[in-house]
Amino acid sequence: MAQATETFYEVIRRQGITRRSFTRFCSLTAASLGLAPAAAPRIAHALETKPRLPIIWMHGLECTCCSESFIRSAHPLAKDVVLSMISLDYDDTLMAAAGHQAEAILDDIRTKYKGGYVLAVEGNPPLNEDGMYCIDGGKPFVEKLKAMAADSLAVVAWGSCASWGCVQAAKPNPTQAVPIDRVIRDKPVIKVPGCPPIAEVMTGVISYITTFGRLPELDRQGRPKMFYSQRIHDKCYRRASFDAGQFVEEWDDEGARKGYCLYKMGCRGPTTYNACSTVRWNDGVSFPIQSGHGCIGCSEQGFWDNGPFYDRLSNVRQFGIEANADRVGGVVAGVVAAGVVAHAAVTAVTRLTKKR
Amino acid sequence: MSGATRTNGSSRFRGVVDLAGVQTDRGATIYVYEAPVRVWHWVNALCVAVLIVTGYLIGAPPPSVTGEASAHFQFGYIRFAHFAAGQVLTVFFMMRIYWAFMGNRHARQIFYLPFWSATWWKGVWWEAKWYLFLTAEPKKYVAHNPLAHIAMFFTVTLGNIGMIITGFALYSEDAGRDSWQARLFGWVFTLFPNSQDVRTLHHLGLWVIVTFTILHIYAAVREEIMSRQTMIATMISGERQFRDDRDD
Amino acid sequence: MDINTPNGFRLDNSGRRVVVDPVTRIEGHLRVEVNVDANNVIRNAVSTGTMWRGIELILKGRDPRDAWAFTQRICGVCTGTHALTSVRAVENALGITIPENANTIRNIMQLALYVHDHIVHFYHLHALDWVDVVSALSADPKATSALAQSISDWPLSSPGYFRDLQGRLKRFVESGQLGPFRNAYWGHPAYKLPPEANLMAVAHYLEALDFQKEIVKIHTVYGGKNPHPNWLVGGVPCAINIDGAGATGAVNIERLNLVSGIIDRAVTFTEQVYLPDLKAIASFYKDWLYGGGLSGRSVLAYGDIPEHANDYSPASLLLPQGAIINGNLAEVQPIDLKDPAQIQEFVTHSWYKYPDEAHGLHPFDGITEPNYALGRNTKGSRTDIHEIDEGAKYSWLKAPRWRGHAMEVGPLARWVVGYAQNKPQFREPVEKLLHDLNVPVGALFSTLGRTAARGLECQWAAHELRRFQDKLLASIKAGDLATAYTEKWTPDTWPAKEVRGVGFTEAPRGALGHWVSIQGGKIDNYQCVVPTTWNGSPRDPAGNIGAFEAALLDTPMADPAQPLEIIRTLHSFDPCLACSTH
Ligand code: HEM
Ligand code: HEM
Ligand code: NFV
Ligand code: SF4
Ligand code: SF4
Ligand code: F3S
Ligand SMILES: [Mg+2]
Repeated sequence: MAQATETFYEVIRRQGITRRSFTRFCSLTAASLGLAPAAAPRIAHALETKPRLPIIWMHGLECTCCSESFIRSAHPLAKDVVLSMISLDYDDTLMAAAGHQAEAILDDIRTKYKGGYVLAVEGNPPLNEDGMYCIDGGKPFVEKLKAMAADSLAVVAWGSCASWGCVQAAKPNPTQAVPIDRVIRDKPVIKVPGCPPIAEVMTGVISYITTFGRLPELDRQGRPKMFYSQRIHDKCYRRASFDAGQFVEEWDDEGARKGYCLYKMGCRGPTTYNACSTVRWNDGVSFPIQSGHGCIGCSEQGFWDNGPFYDRLSNVRQFGIEANADRVGGVVAGVVAAGVVAHAAVTAVTRLTKKR
Repeated sequence: MSGATRTNGSSRFRGVVDLAGVQTDRGATIYVYEAPVRVWHWVNALCVAVLIVTGYLIGAPPPSVTGEASAHFQFGYIRFAHFAAGQVLTVFFMMRIYWAFMGNRHARQIFYLPFWSATWWKGVWWEAKWYLFLTAEPKKYVAHNPLAHIAMFFTVTLGNIGMIITGFALYSEDAGRDSWQARLFGWVFTLFPNSQDVRTLHHLGLWVIVTFTILHIYAAVREEIMSRQTMIATMISGERQFRDDRDD
Repeated sequence: MDINTPNGFRLDNSGRRVVVDPVTRIEGHLRVEVNVDANNVIRNAVSTGTMWRGIELILKGRDPRDAWAFTQRICGVCTGTHALTSVRAVENALGITIPENANTIRNIMQLALYVHDHIVHFYHLHALDWVDVVSALSADPKATSALAQSISDWPLSSPGYFRDLQGRLKRFVESGQLGPFRNAYWGHPAYKLPPEANLMAVAHYLEALDFQKEIVKIHTVYGGKNPHPNWLVGGVPCAINIDGAGATGAVNIERLNLVSGIIDRAVTFTEQVYLPDLKAIASFYKDWLYGGGLSGRSVLAYGDIPEHANDYSPASLLLPQGAIINGNLAEVQPIDLKDPAQIQEFVTHSWYKYPDEAHGLHPFDGITEPNYALGRNTKGSRTDIHEIDEGAKYSWLKAPRWRGHAMEVGPLARWVVGYAQNKPQFREPVEKLLHDLNVPVGALFSTLGRTAARGLECQWAAHELRRFQDKLLASIKAGDLATAYTEKWTPDTWPAKEVRGVGFTEAPRGALGHWVSIQGGKIDNYQCVVPTTWNGSPRDPAGNIGAFEAALLDTPMADPAQPLEIIRTLHSFDPCLACSTH
């Protein structure tokens, strides 16, 4: 355990990162933070003198299941992440201190590690009622969030709450909960969606940063490409049944027992970007589909309003109607077809009567 | 090409209110739809038929087949047919756009609506009355009647574009993030980050096109019988024959 | 100013106000304010739930078969229990039954949750209230090993093991980056453990962190993932196939063995680590008997773990059902969740609006209409609260009452009810523990009693896990593979008129109920009354205080600036605020 006294910089040097790319990382970081170039050495200093990357983990409106998922990580073990990779200086759920002592840590980190800590956010801020649907230290959570984001190096949005809004943002979104990038505009936000995200994806993102000394490459929607560029469907082991045309038609039917494709039971695998079918859950034991239930699309934006979960087709909720595309379209086409028949009949009658 | 046709820029026109500005003589035929337009029309119709059937089945698959998965590719074929028809439709649609520039004036009709033209609006009104049995007789039109024109513009021109864009965006998910499809159409997912929304839109498009097709085929057959000019034959030979010699 | 509450507590808010916000090592956002007198004894307590998401409103108009997924996201810590409660409520409303195997698997999932949640609570949310991490640095590894071996057969107990661990801890502390242990109350006089016990506890803190990820694999097998495994109205989603083609895609012998192995480890861990630690720690805090609050007076349990599918009567439920009022253990009163006169929620002190706030509403008629407003005596402003005014509305929790009584729920409530009902499976372990610690029954009604009941329940749950897993095996052996009934799956098979249903469970933190009305295939109203809503409840129109507030009263604080005693007692409830407000 001699490494415990190694600094973050030494760790990444040992992992083969050159001095040059380290300084480049620091100045890129400073630039992306909108800080003056002079800030780069300060960031470098923070990382050079501290063994572990400071992480502030804040909670907004959420269910804490992202934290729960995080501690399930098998490789690396959550305890090794916390003891050896990062310095989890603030996390409401796990930290020993409370109240003023907890608040003091935030102030301290903000000033001591300006531009040198990662802000990890679980949950999201509500904007209604001046933000008082989520109060932290007597004040709206959104204020604390903005303040801590302002001086961070980068922001990680844990889970679908922080990334997209998730369940509390489902219609009618009574608290007007918004994804964190709606209030954090000037920082790179790494979205790690999922309800919750897979543990090893979470620790993977963290250890990517501490191992390679850079932020992961993101896709168009701000998600790390390494985990979110394929759909559940693309690597689903039931894909052969999908292509064959073998589906579970009813729960617990012959097809269900044989492991047929869950498409007809509403599986959202074809529209869901996540690593479940490859990384799987809880040390690779299973994932939703393997245990017989379709994917509900929990890492996708607005998945709650794309139900019902057990229909292949989502409900359309416009103009006061609520039905799926086939029902809406079927009715429209049916009415039109009936109109055409009626029209044809009237045409025929008028023609006949006129001919006489 | 029989019968005399004269193009005439003068204020008086005989036989048409579709802005073609063409005058005709009794029983005259006019060459309206050039071969590329006709070929496109029927290829498109065929693709659409395949796309409607396979598209519907993609949303609501047929009953499961039995036996080993490795021995079947039923749903795979349905999807393959859809993708194949979709690509053919796209290629021919692009060709059709090319022809809008190269072909005769009628080749351009479905790509714009002459909002500014009072004559055209008069035609819309007249044609509506005709379908509502409020007038004994339709007008004569060299190319599409104004109602058909509106329907074609919105459901086929814009409709095809919408279906191609959403279709290829969906296809890019199969082809992978690094595919040319993703590079060209990936932006769709910036507009609709959840691809389930893109599917829902694409699926609603099916019903728009089904609805159009019902109306369109009915109108084509009805007008073949009832109007003062040929219809389906025109889309086959390209030539429009007028059945009387009266004005408009 | 002195107030005597109808439920028998004396409140005096004249002393100095101490605020703890955020309360950490809990789920969600909680603020607590207390008044201490000249001797630093707590004389008034005010508990404020500081978050609300509106999930009851979001559920309206949705497909009732989807409701489990929404309500499951009420909480990721007690993950699954809301989902189970929800499918039960919907099944109750629609008259849907489930196969025996589904009931067994659901029980296994629920029991696995108890084991997981209790272990994580004890080690990761609660232990640091009793264990001084910094003191562990001065422990003698040899003596630690001797201590560990004297209380348990757990193999990870050699002097070398503790020496390595201590070394790692030392380097961690010397790095100057204390991480989650930063700025805490180390050295506080309320810490009583010797360094060796502290070191052992820190070791088990880390071992428990490793082990908790194993126990949840039971959820992963049957529900596909954890947190937030999958559930199904009418059964469970996983199919069983042990012989046929495709068995590898279903619950098969390999999966069953995987679960069995984990259950064995859960039993071992509970018996060789959790319970010995609990007893060892408790033996040093025997005279810290604060925090009883409502537990000795009014407790409530709905019961759970039905032995037989579709039978939710007390006779079928392994966890007990009933209410005890005014400390009268001689009479356990029957409860009826559908009786409008029994469970009611009040909002006079909650940030909600009722047409008539003098009266409570039964959840079937429940209304959730947010109404954030602070009282006149608030110090600070609307968006910067310094001291809250408990005379007005002051929490995002509603105030549930049973026949007008504020009730405590949770493991202690369950065990007290079971004990009062003279059920040997509850009575015997309680008596043994009291005997081992050499304390009277009254010691149960305390902060430590709550913590102890949770440990006993964990052990009970681990053994029940074994039994239900065996039951599943026996059923499969007898040829029963059914895991879901689908006759009433599609909405066209449901009644057209409005139907109502209630589902209940014993969540890790206590009695949980969901009430649903369904009309035209859609949810018309959905109301959840959640364990922490009971325990963390604000006051009601009659002035009854809830369990958190009651438990904090009369506790002496060594140093009000370091609120260790407050969080210690709050943690004994394992508060979950996302749950409580939903
Ligand atoms: C008239 C034109 C078209 C119609 C009516 C049509 C109809 C449909 C329908 C109804 C679906 C099922 C959507 C769902 O419920 O998920 C679908 C899927 C799809 N369509 Fe089309 N489509 C058309 C054109 C195209 C085109 C031009 C393409 C481009 C190649 C395309 C590619 C796809 C793809 C990739 C899918 C998803 C299939 C899967 O992932 O299984 N479609 N289409
Ligand atoms: C049996 C099937 C069909 C028949 C008999 C038919 C008939 C016709 C006829 C007669 C015309 C000429 C109308 C006129 O002169 O004003 C026409 C034009 C057209 N039809 Fe169809 N049609 C069929 C299917 C379809 C389908 C499935 C579509 C597309 C979804 C379609 C799209 C069009 C379009 C866009 C035009 C205008 C062509 C242009 O100006 O480029 N047709 N069709
Ligand atoms: N209170 C509560 Fe829960 C529990 N146990 C749920 O019903 O934690 Ni989130
Ligand atoms: S994303 Fe989902 S799992 Fe994570 S906190 Fe939000 S609701 Fe819970
Ligand atoms: S089960 Fe779902 S993800 Fe898997 S192949 Fe079928 S539709 Fe795709
Ligand atoms: S529901 Fe979520 S956990 Fe994976 S399989 Fe689907 S993304
Ligand atoms: Mg409620």
